[in-house]
Formats: sequence, C-alpha cells, structure tokens
Amino acid sequence: MISELDRKLWRDLARLKGQALAVALVMGCGLAMMIMARSLIYSLESTRAEYYQVNRFAEVFAHLKRAPDSIALRAAEIPGVATVQAGISVQVTLDIPALDEPASGMVRSLPDFGEPQLNRLYLRAGQWLPPGSRGQVLVGEAFAKANELKPGDRIALLLNGRRQEFRLAGIVLSPEFIFESRPGAALPDNRTYGIFWMPYEELAAAYDLDGAFNYLALTLAPGATARPVIAELDRLLTPYGGRGAYGRADHPSHIRVSDEIRVLQTLAIGFPLVFLSVAAFMTNAVLSRLLVLQREQIAILKAFGFTNRQIALHYLKFAFVMVAMGTVLGWIGGIVMGHRIVALYHLFFRFPELHFRLDRSALVLALLVCAGAAAAGVIGAVRRAARLPPAEAMRPEPPANYRPALVEKTGIAHLLSHTFRIAVRNLERRPVQAIFTVSGMALATGILIVPNAFRDGVAEVMDFQWDVIQRQDVGIGLVEPASVSVRHLFAQLPGVVTVEPIRYTAARIHFGNRNRQLAIQGLTADGQLSRVLDANTRQIALPPAGLVLSAKLAEVLEVRVGDELRVEVLEGKRPVRAVPLVGLAEDFAGVAAYMDIRALNRLMEEGDVITGATFAVDGARRGEFFRALKGVPRVSWVAIKDSLRANFRETTAASIGVIQSIYLVFATVVAFGVVYNNARISLAERARELATLRVVGFSRREVGAVLVTELVILALLAVPLGLLLGTGFATVILGQVNTETVRLPLVLTLGNYSFAVLVVTAASSLSALLVLRKLNQLDLVGALKAPE
Amino acid sequence: MFSGDTIPVRTATPPVYSVRGLTKVYGFGETEVHALAGVDLDLHEGELIVLLGPSGSGKTTLLNNLGGLDVPTAGELRYRDTDLACADEDQLTRFRRDSVGFIFQFYNLIPSLTARENVALITEIARDPMPAEDALELVHLGARLDHFPAQLSGGEQQRVAIARAIAKRPEVLLCDEPTGALDVRTGIVVLEAIARANRELGTLTIIITHNAVMAGMADRVIHFSDGRVLHEHRNPQRAPVSGLEW
Repeated sequence: MISELDRKLWRDLARLKGQALAVALVMGCGLAMMIMARSLIYSLESTRAEYYQVNRFAEVFAHLKRAPDSIALRAAEIPGVATVQAGISVQVTLDIPALDEPASGMVRSLPDFGEPQLNRLYLRAGQWLPPGSRGQVLVGEAFAKANELKPGDRIALLLNGRRQEFRLAGIVLSPEFIFESRPGAALPDNRTYGIFWMPYEELAAAYDLDGAFNYLALTLAPGATARPVIAELDRLLTPYGGRGAYGRADHPSHIRVSDEIRVLQTLAIGFPLVFLSVAAFMTNAVLSRLLVLQREQIAILKAFGFTNRQIALHYLKFAFVMVAMGTVLGWIGGIVMGHRIVALYHLFFRFPELHFRLDRSALVLALLVCAGAAAAGVIGAVRRAARLPPAEAMRPEPPANYRPALVEKTGIAHLLSHTFRIAVRNLERRPVQAIFTVSGMALATGILIVPNAFRDGVAEVMDFQWDVIQRQDVGIGLVEPASVSVRHLFAQLPGVVTVEPIRYTAARIHFGNRNRQLAIQGLTADGQLSRVLDANTRQIALPPAGLVLSAKLAEVLEVRVGDELRVEVLEGKRPVRAVPLVGLAEDFAGVAAYMDIRALNRLMEEGDVITGATFAVDGARRGEFFRALKGVPRVSWVAIKDSLRANFRETTAASIGVIQSIYLVFATVVAFGVVYNNARISLAERARELATLRVVGFSRREVGAVLVTELVILALLAVPLGLLLGTGFATVILGQVNTETVRLPLVLTLGNYSFAVLVVTAASSLSALLVLRKLNQLDLVGALKAPE
Repeated sequence: MFSGDTIPVRTATPPVYSVRGLTKVYGFGETEVHALAGVDLDLHEGELIVLLGPSGSGKTTLLNNLGGLDVPTAGELRYRDTDLACADEDQLTRFRRDSVGFIFQFYNLIPSLTARENVALITEIARDPMPAEDALELVHLGARLDHFPAQLSGGEQQRVAIARAIAKRPEVLLCDEPTGALDVRTGIVVLEAIARANRELGTLTIIITHNAVMAGMADRVIHFSDGRVLHEHRNPQRAPVSGLEW
C-alpha cells in the first residue's frame, strides 16, 4: 500500500519537476557556498597547521642591526622560549638579464651544515645547497615562477654593493613566506621581488657579520605566551639595534592567510542562511500548492484509513526529495567552486601542497541544515492538510475572498486597468507569498552588488594610491642611510624628470598604553611625487615639526590632532621624543606616519640623510633609466608602479573575476528560481481563471499580461529593495575590510546598480517567458468543468 | 415576470450556424471516441434552443465547437460567413470575443474582480457593449455592483455571469448546464434572466442540459445521443420559465 503511495509521490514530483528543481537549485546555492567556505577554511587551516608543524615555523620574530651569536644563546634562556634560530636577513638588488627593470629581494642565511632549527624550507625542485657550498643559492618559488627560473639558472645579486653571480641550486618554499611580498608593501610583486637563501658563512662574509646575526626567530615553550617573551627579547636586543620583536599575529605572511580565513567564515554563515530561508519558503509554497490541489486525495486516503502521520510523512518525503536534490547540487557546486578557489589561492599563497580538502562534516551539516529548512517550510502546510476532517477535505475549497487593494483607496482607482486590479488584489491576498518573492528577487539583486562594489572599491584604492598619493613611477630604497648629496647622482640618471628624497626610520609610536611599530616616512614638505593627502584629497604640506598619521592609525591609537605622541626610534641613536600629531592623512593601504624629512633628520640627531628616493621617469626613456639603475650600488629595493599594477591585475583582479562569476551564477539561479516558482504557482492556482479569460475572448497576450503585470509589480518592488539590500551587504562586507593592512572605500556606481538590475531582469524575464509558454497549454474546455 | 414568452419561431432568415456532417474524434486507434458522429443543424437568429441529452452524449463537445473552443475533426461548421472548422487560433479568439457569450455551470467569474468589474472586463474589449451597470440591471443585480464573487450566492454569481455574457451584445449565447449547480428556485431566476436576454436582445441562445423540464421554455428542442441528433421538435409556444419545476 505504501509503495503505491510512493508511486504517487514520484508522479507528483514528475509533474512539479520544474518547481522542485528551482527549489533544489536555490538550496544548492546556499549549500554550495557553505560547503565551499567551510572546506576552504579547513583546507587552509589544516594545510597551514601541518606546514607550520612539519617545517617548524617560529612564533616570535625580531630584526636587529647586529648582535654577537652569544646574544642568541641568551635569548634561548628567556623564560618561555623553546628554540632559537638566529641568522642573517638582508635586502639586496638583483640583476636578472631577462628583466629590464631592476629587481630586489631578500637574502636569508642557512646554517652551513645541517638543517635550520626553525623555519625549515621545503624543496620544490632542484637540490639543497651542498654542505660548505659557495656561489649557490636557493630561491623562493613565487619569484622563480614569475621569472621562469629553473634550477641551474644563474642570477646576479648585489651583495653589500658588490655584484656576485650565483647558481640557483633549488627552488624552495618557506613557512615564513606563504605570502611572498616585500615587507611593508601592500601588494605582492613577485616578478621584481624575490627571496633567496645562502650559506651563513658566505652571506656573513659579504656583510661583515661573521659571528653575528641580525635576525632571530624563536618558538615558545608549551604553555608560554608571546607577550612577555617579546618584551624580554626587546630588552635584550635594544642595545644591538633591535627593531622590535613581534609574534605570529603581526607576521605579514601569517596575517594574509588568517585574513582570508576570516572572510571565509563570514561567507560560511551569512549567505547560506539567506539562501536557505528563501529555499525554505519556496518549499512551503510548492507544498502548499500541491496540498491544496490534493485536498480531495488526502481526504480519500484518510477515509480509507491512512493516519495523519502516514500522510504527513508522505508529503515530507516529497520535500526531502527536493532536499536530496539540493544537497547533491550543493555538494557538487561546493566542491567544484572550492577547487576553483584553491586554484586561485595558488596565485597568492605558497604551500608545499595545497589541495582542496573537503570538510566532510560540512556535507553532513549541509544535509541537516537543508532538511531543517525544508521541514520548517513544509510542516505548516502538511499540518493544515492532515488536520482537515475527511468530509470537509472532500469538498472543494471555498471561493477565495478578495478586497479592493490599498492602492485603489488612494482615489486613483478609476485609472487602474482591470488587469492591474487583478494583479494587485492577488498580491494583497497572498502577502506572505508576495513578500518572499520580493525578498528572493531583492536578494538576487543585492548579492550582485557585492562583488562589483568590491571590484570598484579596489580599483578606487589602486587609482587613489597610484595616481593621487604616490605619483612616482619608481621608488627605491637604499641599503643604508646616505648623504642627501646622492640625490644629485639620482637626478642625473637618464630619463629622470623629477626625483624626491625619502627617509625611512623604524620607530614605535606610543599614545597612552597603545603603540604601533612602523617606518616613519620623511618626505619633502610639498613633494609632488609621494604626497600626503587629507580626507578631502587636498595635499597636506608637512610642517617643520610634528607627525601626520594615517587616519586609521590615529583611530587605532585613539589619538587626536594636537595630542602629543611618544616616538621611540628603533635605529641609530634610538632617541625617544614627544612629537605632536599635526594632521591626519587619507590612505587605504597599510598605515603610515609622515614627517618633513628635515624634521625627521633633526629628530634622529643626524645630518641631512636619505634612505630612498622616488622618481618620475620619462616614459620614452624607461629602459635606459632601468638599465642605469641596475648599476647603482647600495640600492636595496626597487618598486615599479607599472609592474605592481600588472601583477595586481593578474592576481587580485583575476580572483575578483572568479568570485564575481560565482555570485553572478547564484544571483541568476535565485532570480530565475524565485520568479519561475512564483509564476508557476500563480499559473496553477489560477489556471481556471486564466482559461476563462481565454474562453470569453481574451487573446494569449492579454491573458499573459495578467500574470506578467503581477511579476512586474513584484519586480518593481523588489529591485529598489534589492539595490538597498545590496548597498547594505556591500557596506557590511566592505566595512569588514577596514583593517590596518587595507581599507576599502564604499564605491557604488551607477554601472554596478544597472548591471544588477539588468541581470535580475533578464533572469526573471527568461523564467517568466518559460511559464508564459505554459499558458498556451491551458485547457480551455477543462476550465469550464467543476472547480478542482 | 416573463409571462409574455410567446414570440413565434423564426425560420425565414438565413441560419446563423450551418452545421453539416460535423464529426469530432478524440484519441487514436483503440481509444478512439466519436464524440460527434455527423451532426447536421441550422440555428437561426433569435432562437432559444434547448439541447437535451444524457451526460456523455456529446452535447458539450457540440457547444465547444459552436463556441470556437474546439475545432471539429471533419464536417462543415459555418458561422455566418466564417468557416469555424478551418479558423486559426487568432480567428477563434476574435470570434469568441466579438460574437459569443458563454455561461458556464460553475459561473467562472474572476474572483478578484467585483460584479461590475467582471462585466466591465469584457465590455472593455467588446465592439459595441452596453454599460456594465445596465447589463447587471438586466439580471436584477443593480444593487450588488461592488460585491466580490465570494460575497455573492451561487445564483447571484450565475447572474453576474449572464450579465458578463450579454453585456457585449453577443450574437449567440451559449449556456452549458447553467442551473446545474443551483437549487430549483435559484435556477428559475437564472433561466428567466437568460430568457429575458434572448427576448430583449434577440440573441440566438443555446442551452444544453440533461434536465428535460427545461425543454418547455425553448422555441426548438434538440435531443442528442451518442454524438448525433436523435430528433428535434418545435414548441408551438414557449412555456413561461416561472412555471418550470424539477
């Protein structure tokens, strides 16, 4: 007997397959998002944790000027320290024959014999450095890939101003450089910045650091916390030019991966919740409709002795078939999208192996969440049907009650066409259904706004950063402070239009009990290349005394213009001075502190020195300029705006593109599904009414207009709401991107809004057209028979 | 009320409908059903015809063909100069819109429109309609213009349906079991309204029913069985509707 009931179930499903599929698709979207995000979190977290453990990633890091090896032993004695690894870390300029522009990089030392205690490397290709080797280096994978370098290739490094050729022994990865980028740079440029490793003796000899170190990493003993160790380490290293130790939480590569995980966590909860609510409602709508149609069948089943429980179970099964479809679609979608995103991660993150790892618990959770949503959706409808006494259920449903719509009471009633009246009265009679359809369409519109707002925000930041704030074509850093007179040398490089000096000074800025460690930038007061702008994008002329901070930094330090900051310089004579905050700068990438270069030099109690320069270069003579720059000694890094931009386009922009396409698919599915479902239900509920109109002489087009008017009214309500909703989503999500590393302005363009409206309109129109085609199949003669 | 139902039967004018050998077959092969098996009929202007037959006799199929809701499988079906047998979908729609008034057993009103609006809906698309209010007055519903179908009794709903059908001044009024869902007293009121429309507007009216009592109100009674006209007869004079009983 039950198997016959199941057969009925399959036939009902076959009849409602379009709607069941629409429900399953919307559910699938929510689940796919959840499974993808949870699996990516799991992939990143577990891969990173394993990588850190196997390769012994340190927990506290410190750079200093120079300390004898004995200090490293003392560091190991600090309570709470487990293992210490000391070594050398230097900035170098590179000479790559294939590259016109000069590149820069970092060289790290490796023990001459044996593996390092901490931050062990992973060999991707080639060989390890043989014990006691000379003239060979290991290179980080990101740089090697960007420049198509292979083991055995040769590369020239300018070590301490001396050009030396090296053979690339192997290509490696380091847990310290999962995200490979120049310190202080907001964006990676893997083509012009690379990481290298060479034996300690060889590097120490080049930099006169024999028996000494300038970089230290350590792990903590079980149970120890970073903060007291960092404080103790700072005390130990200060006499040796310590620039302030920091923990993993401030480690640039670690932060990047953590940031990504945090974004995924928002995605794993927020969006699926919204999608599944819509799906739950759609399930309810489909089931309610089915139950109304099957009142009589239910009555007969009950008359024959089926229990309420059996009947409820029967319809729950119907819902769970949709759940099963949705879950499978969600699993497939989540896994496919997850793989695509992992492929994108390879553009940013360097792991020995980063595979998509399916979070199996997410699959189970998906099934449960989805079943819960569907159950919530059907339970009301099923309960209503099961409660009905058989005799009552066998009578046709009483005619629907209608009232004049609210809009007709406004005195414009006489202006309304009958089609319009039918539409608004129907909508008002089923307000919940209308609200959910509007919500669904609004949701579809809203989620389209987010990725475009993200893209526009990023573009705005980039344009602002590169065209308004940093107008230089090239920036360079020097190995050591140099006399301001080198500026004239720079000015004579071929193609130079303007050159401005810069002085970077590592410092810790304190206010109250809060502090931040960064490089103070000493700039020319009214520089035309590297500029400081206020919130109204007017240039701030740096006054002869006082600091200008990024507005974000001032917010973090809770300091106001006029307050006195304590500036603790971490290099040179390490002066500690009170400096007033004289202005707030508007910038989006990182946080910065600016001073007039002469004021900074006075603060440092040094003469007129510079540590870098910015250039405006004649476009036609770029090649010449770069070739000449390659020959300039003591340049530690080079930042080329065009190169950064190109790199940005290939990585960030590309990944925004993928995210955008995912959102596009989701929005289309939701818009299509919601409209299709709504129109199909309208059509089914009102088949008799619409057929009657055809019988009394309305053309197909006129009857179609009745349905379409309703959809258009819903769309007209939904779209502005969706734009509002999207603005809200964008504000919240972009608001999360308001960190010290990066801030995104909320940029909402007409183009963004138009695109969202266009996509939702197209998806809705398409599904409406599909339903309208069903109008042609209306059974005109059937409509004249007894009401169902 | 309508005690003067004594209009003579008119046959001199050319027929409105001319039906010859009309056949309608549903299905194929073994499941083939001849719903109409060669019907010959002429229907004239102003006539009130009652088409009698048991259920399954094919009378609804005939009505659907006459009303342009269905096309015959074979045979000739002419409405004045129009060949309905060969008409396409658009021509049939136009025909229904301009020339036919339908009255159904289950009223088929638009539930979201008031009585007045249900009628006005049709008068808006008709060529030469009467005001909706007049049509409703004709069925004595002038006081319930702004009620929705759910607020009206079955008889009242059917009278709205009649008003809707006659408001466009159709040339033919097709009624399929118009009293089928109503009790006797209400049914009489509805039939009186139909008869009055026929008399006052001169509309060719065809009522199909299995209720033989209604034969008395007709000019001509056609008995239908197994998809064929069994026989027909003319009433010497129409019986007043108020006298019918069943």
